[in-house]
Amino acid sequence: MVTIQIDGRAMQAPTGTTILKAADQAGIVIPRFCYHPAFEPEGSCRMCLVEIEDLPKLDLACSTVVREGMKVWTSTPKVLQARKDVLEFLLADHPLDCPICDKAGECFLQDYYDKHGRYASRFLEAKEKKKKKIPIGKKLLLDRERCVLCTRCVRFLRGVTGTGELGVFKRGVKAEIGIDEGVEIRNNYSGNLVDICPVGAITDGDFRFKTRVWFLEKKRTVCPRCSRGCNIIVQSVRNYPLSGRQRRIYRIVPAENQDVNGYWICDFGRFGYHDIEDNRLTAIAVNREGPAEGRLPSWEDILKGLAAEIRALVDAGRASSLAVILNSSLTNEELAACRKLFADALGVRSIFFADPKPGEADGYLLTADRTPNGGGAAALGFSPELPDLEKLAGAADLLIIFGPHLLEHYPAEKLADSLKGIRRKYLLAAHRSGLDALADIVLPTAHPAEKKGSFRNVKGTVQSFECAVRAPRGCLPEGEILSRLASELGVKLE
Amino acid sequence: MSDVIATLIPAGENSFRLGAYLGRGGYEAARKTILTMKPRDVLEEVKKANLRGRGGAGFPAGSKWAFVPQADERSKYLCVNADEGEPGTFKDRAIMTQDPHLLLEGILLTCYAVGIHTAFIYIRAEYEAIAQRLEAAIEEARQKGFLGPDIFGSGFGLEVLVHRGAGAYICGEETALLESIEGKRGMPRLKPPFPASVGLFGSPTVINNVETIANVPLIFRYGADWFVARGLPRDGGTRIFGVSGAVRKPGLYELPVGTPLRKIIYEWAGGPAEGQSIKAVVPGGLSAPFLTPEEIDVPMDYESLAHAKSMLGSAGVIVIGDRTPIIDVLRIVARFYAHESCGQCTPCRIGTTWISKIADRIGAGAGTSGDLDLIRHLAEGMKGKTLCPMGDAAAFPVLSIVDKFGQELGEPISR
Amino acid sequence: MSFSLTAEGAKRVEELVRRYPRKEAALLPVLHIVQREKGFISSEAEEWVAATLGVPALQVREVLSFYTLLRRKPAGKYVIQVCRNISCHLAGAEDILKYLEKKLGVRAGETTPDGKYTLMAVECLGNCDHAPCLMVNDEDYGPVSRDAVDGIFMGLT
Repeated sequence: MVTIQIDGRAMQAPTGTTILKAADQAGIVIPRFCYHPAFEPEGSCRMCLVEIEDLPKLDLACSTVVREGMKVWTSTPKVLQARKDVLEFLLADHPLDCPICDKAGECFLQDYYDKHGRYASRFLEAKEKKKKKIPIGKKLLLDRERCVLCTRCVRFLRGVTGTGELGVFKRGVKAEIGIDEGVEIRNNYSGNLVDICPVGAITDGDFRFKTRVWFLEKKRTVCPRCSRGCNIIVQSVRNYPLSGRQRRIYRIVPAENQDVNGYWICDFGRFGYHDIEDNRLTAIAVNREGPAEGRLPSWEDILKGLAAEIRALVDAGRASSLAVILNSSLTNEELAACRKLFADALGVRSIFFADPKPGEADGYLLTADRTPNGGGAAALGFSPELPDLEKLAGAADLLIIFGPHLLEHYPAEKLADSLKGIRRKYLLAAHRSGLDALADIVLPTAHPAEKKGSFRNVKGTVQSFECAVRAPRGCLPEGEILSRLASELGVKLE
Repeated sequence: MSDVIATLIPAGENSFRLGAYLGRGGYEAARKTILTMKPRDVLEEVKKANLRGRGGAGFPAGSKWAFVPQADERSKYLCVNADEGEPGTFKDRAIMTQDPHLLLEGILLTCYAVGIHTAFIYIRAEYEAIAQRLEAAIEEARQKGFLGPDIFGSGFGLEVLVHRGAGAYICGEETALLESIEGKRGMPRLKPPFPASVGLFGSPTVINNVETIANVPLIFRYGADWFVARGLPRDGGTRIFGVSGAVRKPGLYELPVGTPLRKIIYEWAGGPAEGQSIKAVVPGGLSAPFLTPEEIDVPMDYESLAHAKSMLGSAGVIVIGDRTPIIDVLRIVARFYAHESCGQCTPCRIGTTWISKIADRIGAGAGTSGDLDLIRHLAEGMKGKTLCPMGDAAAFPVLSIVDKFGQELGEPISR
Repeated sequence: MSFSLTAEGAKRVEELVRRYPRKEAALLPVLHIVQREKGFISSEAEEWVAATLGVPALQVREVLSFYTLLRRKPAGKYVIQVCRNISCHLAGAEDILKYLEKKLGVRAGETTPDGKYTLMAVECLGNCDHAPCLMVNDEDYGPVSRDAVDGIFMGLT
């Protein structure tokens, strides 16, 4: 450790660290464009220049290593002027796109001008004209006029994905970012480019023109699309526009977690936000004879009915004809409740799992296992197994299915046949599927982003999360359903 | 004025041939030195001679070499900077054209002193004919055992490769030169680390200008004391001053360090061109702040010019006559740096083109009253804040023009 | 791949690559060989160079776009570079450039329709004591007057 001073404050900094890192640690924010903690210092934006006592020239905070006794000043007139100058240079050729640029509200140029600029523009010349809507792969668009040539995007694709699709062409003021002809960005981490671009040069068609970032509510949770457990921030808008819709999810971005996903998330997880909104079941559906006709069934009715049926079977000594199909997207708390209720209290032995089929791991974050809590299920003593449909059809009288994933494993007809042989089927799912028609009663559940709970990821780390968005009215988290069911059955879940 | 025996640019059509070079005593100094002196002592002798870099920065060569860790086992490299892009500079062209073997002997001695076995001559693409002459000279030298695996039977081996640039002034900056040799865009690197520890391919590297290296054999032929005596105590030897522009006798003049600028212009280059008087003088290549006619008594050495708030740089003297509107000069200067900016760092990338646009606008008669202050502001914004010295190079001359010739610049604006 | 050099060119490339401590360092020299043989560097050539040196094709393109003297399009048989920097300007380079533009019927940066001449206005060529100067391919000329320019052109077949 070395002792240094920043702005008169004495502090300890690890030997070999840079001024900028030490300042960040101490909560002193030095503005920067090209620096990103995931990469080696680049030193090209010149925004992080600071004054070091006894040195004649300003120095870069991002790349200058701290020395014992170093005194750094981050807000002297020289430093403030240098920052203003960098902004003046960048904004000279920058297009007046703010009204139509998605980055407004989270743009480094805007934020820094507000804080460190505030000069009157003296640029009287013609701005450099460049191409503005260049497709570079997937739904990404590159706007060369907005680009400040921080090269974060280029360095990301070289250093993190190793795919190197972007390069810097030409030189001087004509320098521009671009792809090789016909070689578009197709990797599974392209979405991070939008996050790291400090301005609106790289935008995503998925988010383009859809909302303004200052309307977004940002809540942290864990991505449920594979077993990595990347930390994410779900960004949604409540009650806007005033159309009566309860909420709308606009995008997911990474939350930094150096132990799990670093600074990044994969596109598969990122664009999985559509799962939260699309194709949702939002109302209880009863397909066959059920509770009193003419009245829409309520949760209370349904769960009372289910409890009654279960009790009837158990009292008749026929607990063996109760079957449950769970999945590894349930939280640890929900799985624990399942075990306590079904296995321990009701003595159900036919407990199966139907999960999304494994996919291909991408060699970095995305795992082959496409469930978030396979590790949690195993740790709770479950050995996930698909049911043998024929045996099930023969043995089961009442079947409770969590999730629509059975459909991925059995051809629809075979499934329909087998299920026909079971008297009573309850389906608890968040999304519509072909399974809806095969069940007697369909109960709409919450998406993991709408729940509070924990998952155990592929490394064995248990991560807890809070509810990031409210579930649609009418949906309940499985944990809540189990809790009420247990209550009806007089089972204590604690 | 120059010692005919010890000149860097010999006369004669065939001066470049190995036979002629040997006739001048060529490669003898290298032979004696390599066979009888230790590398460390060779380095010390160069330090003693106070040989300063002749590319522009003027850093003492011996000290630069000493930064390379002696004990480092990695391959080390020498890069000879023959990019000669600084406007007003044309001396390295002459040395390489007329005395390529002097350069090669200098390379040999330098590499021996530092422990280098591979040297690159980075030569600008426009000097193709010279590149070919160098390659032929290298082949001649190899044939005679002056280069190759076992030089003079000493066991010391050295290979020299001629590496052509492709039209980028910035590649004359030492770290951009390294990037260019490595097969990349010529973008300067952040320093530290310095090339002496992390250079070409990550290995310790020495980079020196052609004229610097070409002086090394003379130090060993005639001694460090002799070398110092030819110049000034802290700045030994001669400089090849290139004089061009509005003078009667443009050309190269090899003179002692410290020769007054006025003498160079009037006594050697024949004074200003017919019918003109001097309006401005660039003393050390275009990147040096301009001098007014009142300031040309300055001695041409690093300290004196620094004191005069300019620089010796590449010793490229450009005389601008009173027939040339200073706005033309400003436009050309600004356009040059805008064209050559690599684009990596914000101030230079934007600043050079912005200043160029303002200068063009003034030249086209559309200047406004705030323009000169704005140019000054933009140049100050670049000065000392860029990733490489080209920001300063772009700022200095522009600032000096606006400061010293502001009145003439202001005329079309106020009209 | 459809691109190939002549046998001699290919041999030179091979020798070059052997002499460099790292293959990638031969990029500029190899690009020069390609350009001298073919007149410019095509997309196929870029890919060939990339494959030969084990560098990404994107890097070859990046490098090509950075350097003034590397071309992606064919140039004329004679590339005329006219210096427009200070010393040459003082000696009348602007007039020489205008004269050449008129003579060839193209603007600086363009190639004549018959493919014979490419005219370029360039920065300092390092020949300042022979201002105003120009180059025709690898040959230096200077000081040039309008008459001298005419003389040079008579010699260009």
